[in-house]
Amino acid sequence: MSKGARVLRVVLACLVPAMLTVGIPFANRVEPRIFGLPFLLAWIILGTILAPVSLSLIYRLEGRANP
Amino acid sequence: MSPAIVALSIVGLVVGGTIAFALYSVRRIPMDPHQYIVAGRSLGAFFLWLLLAGEVYTAFTFLGAAGWAYSYGAAAFYILAYGTIGYIIGYFLLPGISDVGHARGLLTSGDYFADRFGSRRLGVAIGALQFFFLIPYVTLQLTGLQILLTIAGYNAYDARVGVAIGFLMMALFVFSAGLRGTAWASVVKDGLVLAGVIFAGVAIPLRFFGSYGAMFDRIQSAHPTWLTLVATPTNHSVIWFVTTVALTAIGFFAGPQNMAAILSARDGNTLRKNAIWMPVYQIVLLLVFFAGFAALLIVPGMKPGAADQSFVLVVQRYYPAWVVGFIAAAGSLAALVPASGLLLGGASNLVKNVLGDGLGIATGDRARTFATRMAVLSLAVLALGLWLIYSKTLVDLLLFYYNGITQLMPGLIFGLVWRRVPARAIAAGIAGGLLTVLTIFYEHADPTPWGVNIGLLALVVNVVIVVAITLVWPRKDAAVEVSG
Repeated sequence: MSKGARVLRVVLACLVPAMLTVGIPFANRVEPRIFGLPFLLAWIILGTILAPVSLSLIYRLEGRANP
Repeated sequence: MSPAIVALSIVGLVVGGTIAFALYSVRRIPMDPHQYIVAGRSLGAFFLWLLLAGEVYTAFTFLGAAGWAYSYGAAAFYILAYGTIGYIIGYFLLPGISDVGHARGLLTSGDYFADRFGSRRLGVAIGALQFFFLIPYVTLQLTGLQILLTIAGYNAYDARVGVAIGFLMMALFVFSAGLRGTAWASVVKDGLVLAGVIFAGVAIPLRFFGSYGAMFDRIQSAHPTWLTLVATPTNHSVIWFVTTVALTAIGFFAGPQNMAAILSARDGNTLRKNAIWMPVYQIVLLLVFFAGFAALLIVPGMKPGAADQSFVLVVQRYYPAWVVGFIAAAGSLAALVPASGLLLGGASNLVKNVLGDGLGIATGDRARTFATRMAVLSLAVLALGLWLIYSKTLVDLLLFYYNGITQLMPGLIFGLVWRRVPARAIAAGIAGGLLTVLTIFYEHADPTPWGVNIGLLALVVNVVIVVAITLVWPRKDAAVEVSG
């Protein structure tokens, strides 16, 4: 795996865990409402939706590295 | 026919039918220990998905998630957050554990520790610990089942009889069908649970409020603090949320039942694909939150704990008996199917590591399968007995289960990445972590000092001990592979 790919892999792996832990104090609000949902809940849902996306990108990066 | 008869008959038919279906599906599988405990290490992506989902999303998750949304509001969202992070950790961790399991023929988490740290005694200790941790977790599922059967019986019957019958049926089912049977039963369970949760989380809020936006408007005006976390460092505050999510995400795959599922995977890639797609299942939890919030507005005034039954109570009050029956049946399967996996995980640790490696009993294949089956039944009877006698205090032990089981994580991870860690460091770390939890538990001290989840503190104590001992007395035979 190239250096750039390795860095990208770490960033992708840490994105959602960071959103759902250290990101929580910043997302802890009701407004703006997203599709009627309070912002905090919408933020956690966004993290949950991004998890499969970032993991499949990591899977593809790894696949290219060891075919 | 009275509504109670209709609802209870549906529960009985669905649970009985599921067991019959799963038994039929595994009828040609010859049961040796590998087949029985880890399904011959042959499960592909689909079955593994069902098995893992079956173990993670239990009746207690559903009732508890709705109850928390009802009683504590936004604090409940931690249940959604930790699973998501748990899968991301799992993506990197599980393939390595499964590779070791394939290469070394491991059956239980006790085996893993014995093999990785070259100490049979450590394996015995881990096996025994796993067994004890499981009992409160199984009894929790029984409490979930009791809530559902009480509501399906319209409060006319003593639900404990139903709980005992259902649970013993499930124990006999695991006795004969093993892990593969649990995987097949999960097929039915997941389908029904999905239907039930869509009903509770979509149909109920839309019928009573018209839209989610309108529902949250009403919660915001009736309970203005409900939809965000408190900033002051106390229980259910922001800092509590962050530390609890971290702790529970780290411990997500530490249970013995999870180890069985990991070892049953065909290969590491199957586990990677699973970790990618498991977060999709989390959406089910979101719908359960909606059901809990809806119940808060429809049947207000329930105490925490009692609120676990809030949304099922809404169904009982406003919908016909057959709907109550199907919801209760889905919930009952969500209690019984995971309980079957828990029984098997606990029993296999007891027989393989404590009886087999510790005492030299039942070491042949046939004897081991037989002993594991017997241990499944004994564990079931023990859990049921404890639940009938001490049902209230055992719920308190859940804190101990989550905090305790997480103490195994340093060993699971170091076992893959740091070969110099000696068995005594792992044992001392676990002891230190458990002592921290126990001290807080028995001193009745504030379980969340400064809002921090005590389990995370215990985990830090654990890791510090492991690292310190390893740096001072590293393992001498680290270069040599030692068999457990």
